[in-house]
Amino acid sequence: MTQNTQIKLIDALWLLLITLTLFSAYMAERANPGFISIAIMAAVLAIKGRIIVDHFMELKHAHKLLRSLMRTYFYVIPSLIIIVYLFPEQIAKWTSLS
Amino acid sequence: MNPAITQEVTTEKFSFTTKAKNIPGNLAIWAAILAEMSEFAVMFMVYFLAKVHNPELFYEGPTRLNTTAGTANTLIMLTSSFFVVRSVMAIRSDQLKQATRWLWGAVACGMLYLIIKYFEYQWNATQGLDTETNIFYGVYYYVTFNHFLHVGWGSAGLIWVIYRINTGIYTKTEHEGLINMALYWHMIDLAWITIFPLLYVIR
Repeated sequence: MTQNTQIKLIDALWLLLITLTLFSAYMAERANPGFISIAIMAAVLAIKGRIIVDHFMELKHAHKLLRSLMRTYFYVIPSLIIIVYLFPEQIAKWTSLS
Repeated sequence: MNPAITQEVTTEKFSFTTKAKNIPGNLAIWAAILAEMSEFAVMFMVYFLAKVHNPELFYEGPTRLNTTAGTANTLIMLTSSFFVVRSVMAIRSDQLKQATRWLWGAVACGMLYLIIKYFEYQWNATQGLDTETNIFYGVYYYVTFNHFLHVGWGSAGLIWVIYRINTGIYTKTEHEGLINMALYWHMIDLAWITIFPLLYVIR
């Protein structure tokens, strides 16, 4: 990739990150909390995390372990957002001491 | 032994440079980044657990926070990370002046973030919110103030890197410190993009 193409890619990704953020803020203000809106928020977080890990931190073609660790973070947290939304009582039961 | 060879062997032995293994920056910064990501992960686990045990408080909590301030700070953090990437690209093309300009942009973003956060905390106080209001705000203050500190010392780190470029220590070919600082700054950004939906958006 030439320097110019790389700059264009980074500029476009920055614009995408900004758009995704404004979109999720709009959702927060407008939409009633529900499964669809929660799933969209989780997906937005996963995409944003992946862009930063792959392109800003330049891990896309880097050491496999580091790349996997950092990418996994942005699979796990969005998944937890959805799981906690779907099964709050179950998780509360499992994590109660009494 | 030839002194030049001794020097090379010694440097090799104690160097954290890991270019051969295709790792951006060096291993020391990755140890720090992974430790910090783990620290934030523990806070996120606390958030999730507190949420399932206090569903009403976590449902109402985000509605009393300043979403505009949270959104503005997200845009600012993402932009600062973008500036840092552009700085790395500039130094690779030997545009040192340009590289420092991008970094000053990132520092300005860091300062703006801190100022907005300060006013957000003030705004919360006028709404009668503090660390003891309830567990949602306890988690909110613990996580966001922790992140606030990271932006503070991260900005100081960026200024240190600017100084190193200006004094000719970092060049087109040797600028590992800039890469390390860039990676650390992106980690701070990653933490914030996770905090933002958890505390301000999701109910």
